Amino acid sequence: MNRVRAVFEKKGRAKYISHLDLNRCMLRIFRRSGLPVWYTEGFNPHPYYSFALALSLGFESSCEILDFNITDDSMSLDEIRDRLNKVMPEDMRIVSVKPQRLKITEIAKAEYAVFLASENAEKLIADVQALMNSDEILVEKKTKRGFKQVDIKPDTELVECRKNGAFLEITMRLPAGTQTNYNPTLFLDALKNAGSQPFSVERIRRIGILCKNNEIFS
Amino acid sequence: MLKEKIEKHLLEVQKPSRYIGGETGSVVKDISGVDVRFAFCFPDTYDIGMSHLGMKILYSLINERENYWCERCFAPSEDFEAVMRENDIPLYALESLDPIKDFDFIGFTMQYELSYTNVLNMLDLAGIPVFASERSDELTGIVVAGGPCVCNPEPLADFFDLFILGEGEEVNLELMDLYFEMKKQGASRKEFLLKAAQIEGIYVPSLYEFNYKDNGTISGVTPLNGAPPVIRKRIIKDFDKVYYPDNFVLPFTEIVHDRASVEVLRGCIRGCRFCQAGFIYRPFREKDPDTICRETKTLCENTGYDEVSLVSLSTSDHKQIDEMLSKLIDYTAAERINLSLPSLRVDNFSESLLEKIKKVRKSGLTFAAEGGTQRLRDVINKNVSEEEIMNTCRIAFAGGYSAVKLYFMMGLPTETDDDIRGIADLAQRIVDLFYSIENRPKGKGVQVSISVATFVPKPFTPFQFEPQDTREMIEYKQKLLMDSVKTKKIKVSYHDPDVSMLEVILAKGDRRLCKAVYAAWKKGCKFDSWDEHFKFDKWMEAFEECGIDPAFYANRRFEYDEILPWDHLDYYVSKEFFIRENKTAHKAITTPNCRQRCSGCGVTARTGGRCFE
Repeated sequence: MNRVRAVFEKKGRAKYISHLDLNRCMLRIFRRSGLPVWYTEGFNPHPYYSFALALSLGFESSCEILDFNITDDSMSLDEIRDRLNKVMPEDMRIVSVKPQRLKITEIAKAEYAVFLASENAEKLIADVQALMNSDEILVEKKTKRGFKQVDIKPDTELVECRKNGAFLEITMRLPAGTQTNYNPTLFLDALKNAGSQPFSVERIRRIGILCKNNEIFS
Repeated sequence: MLKEKIEKHLLEVQKPSRYIGGETGSVVKDISGVDVRFAFCFPDTYDIGMSHLGMKILYSLINERENYWCERCFAPSEDFEAVMRENDIPLYALESLDPIKDFDFIGFTMQYELSYTNVLNMLDLAGIPVFASERSDELTGIVVAGGPCVCNPEPLADFFDLFILGEGEEVNLELMDLYFEMKKQGASRKEFLLKAAQIEGIYVPSLYEFNYKDNGTISGVTPLNGAPPVIRKRIIKDFDKVYYPDNFVLPFTEIVHDRASVEVLRGCIRGCRFCQAGFIYRPFREKDPDTICRETKTLCENTGYDEVSLVSLSTSDHKQIDEMLSKLIDYTAAERINLSLPSLRVDNFSESLLEKIKKVRKSGLTFAAEGGTQRLRDVINKNVSEEEIMNTCRIAFAGGYSAVKLYFMMGLPTETDDDIRGIADLAQRIVDLFYSIENRPKGKGVQVSISVATFVPKPFTPFQFEPQDTREMIEYKQKLLMDSVKTKKIKVSYHDPDVSMLEVILAKGDRRLCKAVYAAWKKGCKFDSWDEHFKFDKWMEAFEECGIDPAFYANRRFEYDEILPWDHLDYYVSKEFFIRENKTAHKAITTPNCRQRCSGCGVTARTGGRCFE
């Protein structure tokens, strides 16, 4: 049995597919592809597959990760990729299929590109810098036991903040994986609450899933 | 482009993937090669409309034609409607995201009466005049409707340019061809409608004039401008060879019926006297088991569905049911596909059939007994005996089932208190039966659920003449039933009688109701079939303002010799047959099913064919 890891894009209209819906969608993709995916052997057999991270509704991504098993060891990774791509929905595409190298638990963070529209980009850039330079960034985070106040500052890495055409593009890394997950909207809420230059969120795209040492998870 | 405008607000609403298209299987064409555009509108939300098989069939059928393009359109939920109205987003089709206002056809499928106000709301959202008479004479945006409700389309007559009676597979393309031809010639809307009225199955309501007697009943219907006096529905001649889609549009979001569906037969041999579907879809026609298997296989392969459902009014009436199921189960089991079999009848539910179904999946056991006593079941011609119900339950209980659901109706013709008490008694005997069985499921109690609907007399049934019980009568009967149930193992649930009353008014109403439908919509009525949206008081206000007495339609017996609002429409089953059946019903005498003996409903005589070899 070949344990494989696919990296796939989810862009354009596909960003409106919720995580739950994506699960159902994936099942049909596998069935349409006719690939010899491994089925669970329980009472209700179904193809075994799992997504490394959930992606928020409305976010795009160039680096989603999907693990599954192929029972035919002789099948090439490129063939698996191509057969899936033949039946993928619009705006979703398999970038690569490779062996599973690292354990899912190695995932530590995710990198996002956040595009904001604002009447005064320079001022907004300054507001972002100011927020990052403050002692703490307190946000209300939803947990299993209701809302909790969290300081996201220690775990928020601002990679870059620059003007990109008409937009302000913020590149940032936030905790992700089996332990802690920060959604970039937490940071944006904090920015708004700090009284920043008004902005609207144009697009959020996940651009990298990383290990602790910033190595790309694969 | 509307797309940007839509996307700007899409994340503000629930289940946004319903409003943006792009689903696998949706058909997108290059507009430069398209001559006729058809917006197939379902007057309810995406989740419901996308479950509708008829839409899938007709969508694919039209799109097979290279130069015709059929797109989907649904009623937006309240939150998205608000966004649309606030931001001037007109109702659009999901494939192109173009406003449907500019389409050649805007076609609605009318599946239930309580969706009528949604049609008005959708036309309004689209920016199309709600009244047909207010549309321009330009040949564009023809508003049409089909589906079971158009067997009496009069309460909708003012809003539609034309109605399509019968099976769309047979007539839709013919209608579109005529449109295409006349469009090329530069014809007007009026000219097109006059020509269309000559096609069998096409009813142009504006070409008919209704006159009324002093007592409110119809004195006559006059066809104008050479329109035919009687409009006959269209039927598919060779059902086994009829077009069936090889692919479905796959929704991302969860919908009501999210599975492959394959139609196994159309029409029904049973003749239950309350059932409109049992008459308007005649003649009874079956598909060959091989055809059914082939269609199942193709659909499952192309969609990736792991569940398939067999669709019909009564699947177990298929002549080759055993052969069909054996073949299907061979395929579905090997491919790990779930096979679901709704619409199995209680009386021919054999042990071997149950074994086959059990091999597939153990789902709920549901019986439509409809009447509480044998006498009443004879009246309604639900040819099911208590012995058969008990036998089936015995087999099912021994086979591991412990929950049974029974459907009944209340307010049926000739119903007495004994019939109501009979419902509770029947349920009680099923409970007793469970505990009398040696090898019943251990460690579980039995659960008998009774669901009681209020009887709605419908056009084109032997009960079309019958009045509906008043609210007071229904409430009395509901209380009587509650008092007759003695154990918690029996659970009773009801439908809201107000909803059923509105249903019967819209089902049996005439053209004068159009203004009340309009008034109700103006007062905010929409999604009437949704409990949380149903506004009975607004409807009553609308009726009153329009001078309409609801009881005239709901609680009055329509006479045999009365001109009924749907008498000029011909669904092949004759009025004489309905009168005969109505009289037989009142004598509590049953009529055998079509396979046992032809009862001369008129279909055989008029199709010139034979229902059975």
